[in-house]
Amino acid sequence: MTQSVADHPILDPRFAPPFPQAVLPVLRNPQLRKNVAHAIDVIQAKRGRLVAEKTDWQELRTAGSALRAHVLENLGTYLEQFESRCTAAGGHVHWAADAAEARQITLDLLRQHNASDVIKIKTMTSAEIQLNPFLEAQGVHAHETDLAEIILQLGEQEPSHIVVPALHINRSQVREIFARTMGLKNLSDDPKELTNAARRYLRQKFLTIPTAISGANYLIAETGGVGIVESEGNGRMCLTLPQTMITIAGIEKVLPRFQDLEIMLQVLARSATGERMNPYTSLWSGVTPGDGPQNFHVILLDNGRSEMLRRPVERQTLKCIRCAACMNTCPVYRQTGGHAYGSVYPGPIGAILTPQLMHMHHAQSLPYASSLCGACYEVCPVKINIPEVLLELRSQVVNQERRQVGRVFDLMYIGLRMANFLFTSAWRFHLAQRLGRIGARLVTRKDGWIHSLPSIGGKWTQTRDLRGLPDQTFHEWWAARAKEAK
Amino acid sequence: MTAAISSRESILGRIRSAIQTPGMGLADAAVAYGALPRGYIQAGKLSREGTIALLIERLREYDAEVVECTPEELPAAIAAQLAASAKHTFVAPPGLPPSWLATGFDWKIDNDLDTAEIEKVDGVLTAATCAVADSGTIVLHHGPTEGRRVISLLPDWHLCILLASQVVETLPEYFDRVEQPPALATYISGPSATADIEMTRIKGVHGPRFLHVILVRDPDSPTQAPAMRPADTAPHKGR
Ligand code: SF4
Repeated sequence: MTQSVADHPILDPRFAPPFPQAVLPVLRNPQLRKNVAHAIDVIQAKRGRLVAEKTDWQELRTAGSALRAHVLENLGTYLEQFESRCTAAGGHVHWAADAAEARQITLDLLRQHNASDVIKIKTMTSAEIQLNPFLEAQGVHAHETDLAEIILQLGEQEPSHIVVPALHINRSQVREIFARTMGLKNLSDDPKELTNAARRYLRQKFLTIPTAISGANYLIAETGGVGIVESEGNGRMCLTLPQTMITIAGIEKVLPRFQDLEIMLQVLARSATGERMNPYTSLWSGVTPGDGPQNFHVILLDNGRSEMLRRPVERQTLKCIRCAACMNTCPVYRQTGGHAYGSVYPGPIGAILTPQLMHMHHAQSLPYASSLCGACYEVCPVKINIPEVLLELRSQVVNQERRQVGRVFDLMYIGLRMANFLFTSAWRFHLAQRLGRIGARLVTRKDGWIHSLPSIGGKWTQTRDLRGLPDQTFHEWWAARAKEAK
Repeated sequence: MTAAISSRESILGRIRSAIQTPGMGLADAAVAYGALPRGYIQAGKLSREGTIALLIERLREYDAEVVECTPEELPAAIAAQLAASAKHTFVAPPGLPPSWLATGFDWKIDNDLDTAEIEKVDGVLTAATCAVADSGTIVLHHGPTEGRRVISLLPDWHLCILLASQVVETLPEYFDRVEQPPALATYISGPSATADIEMTRIKGVHGPRFLHVILVRDPDSPTQAPAMRPADTAPHKGR
């Protein structure tokens, strides 16, 4: 998996450039920024209206948060229950420790069913494990069926959002892609006409390709059922017409009971697309004779998730229901769009999820791709305290870095070690203050401000001024005041 | 297959060692589950009339066409809708009352019809399991009167018959009515739609583009709607 085309974003965290570097081409692309800002404004306005009308929104968030936390605390139990109920209903459950194993299980199943083509419902999990390029290399062609995913697949583009993955592409760009790849010279850029073109393009595929792959929004432990929410009906097509269905789901997707959907369905569509309910929700348990796929497989994917359970702060990450509200509200995402994150999971959730999926070996710049303003926490329907997780991950990144040999002589770390030395003893601190005051005189101008500092301090003063140090510290003033009083 | 078994054990092992509550089984989980907060609105506050008016408003917002009638008027109302559609061939699930299948149209009854045959029909007529006014959602549990999933998916035009007694105000009220979780369920909130191109809402990508609903003013008690009350719903469910 090497990809080096400069204008193609690299959504593999192992090879992606660090965030500050990756944003540069985006910030210089006004068209892209306009497309992203427009899409986000529309979703945000709709979400705002529909959340405001829900008088029990905070109670729903509290319930959703507690439910998801409860699932994670009892994850093993619920996964086993799901497995036994799903199996009893005629499904087959497979367990994949990592991406490679999930891909291999998928391929083996496809081979068992002699599949050379497969239709797909939009799934983030499959993007996470980079399934499509793998299948392609093995001679199985995966056809995406969600409109946005078709745009990306035919246009050879990467997703930039987890709910509306092609939001960075505007209508004339879609027209160009469809006209070129579907051979429709006279296509206009009217979204209705473009949508119709996709409908026609896919209809035959739905009716003839007997194997499908999906993700899952919910696994229901009590029933062994799986739930998928969608808008277009491509999901229903894939869940109904083929003979074989392979569902790839992260192990955290489980809910204890059927009834829990009453919470999840009330918060998901409102948060994701600003609708009271998404047009279609499909639920099925195992195999139903005469209705839908008669071979049903679920692959439960770990891929780093079980490690995140260890500590409560990081564990929150797995409560996520992938609604994308956090990226829609994020002031950073709004400016950069999704590609700069170098992961299929962008935005605030991507900034905490991606490095952890990489066992903190890659994507270490992402926890810094945030102003810590807290907007993501405020909108998150399951109350993930994203800023708290970001800070925790930042500290892990720093701990990693400072142990690296090269960093021992890094000016920043030398400075921090010195600060540590000075700040941990009162007399060293006071001495430093006195010396600092003398030193500061050299750089303080007549107006009482420091306009530029030498050495790495210059980076700080590049964009801001510092007030000069006062002649007396508070501590000294307090001591002097006490003496006077006597 | 041994590799798969070992992945199962290793994943469950990692989960158990991470959470460090050995011995936690379903029984303990159920106790903790019972204590989870559920402070959100359970039952709605609207009157029957208010609930039905809200549902109609929501369905119309989704561009669905809604007409109302009494149980006696239903066959005529169905015939009128079919005639107005200017379509001719319709598919229907096997459990519908014969009086619904208006004469003068070509009916295909779905006793395991071929997909190719369903693909050719102009429209579909089904009953429903329930409807949720708050979100304008029609619930199908795919029993004998709602039919297999494919018949309400492939045809471009869907006429759905809903009883007033099946309408609830809130989503939790629907879940309260479900005694046994269904093996199959589809929740439909408006016709198939996409906003993937510049967030412009376009109706009708793959599912039916046209949704018509006849709301039947049956007597208010669910027990008095025998033909329509699906076997798998019941008025109460303990939490
Ligand atoms: S972190 Fe919260 S807001 Fe972000 S996608 Fe997940 S559930 Fe939605």
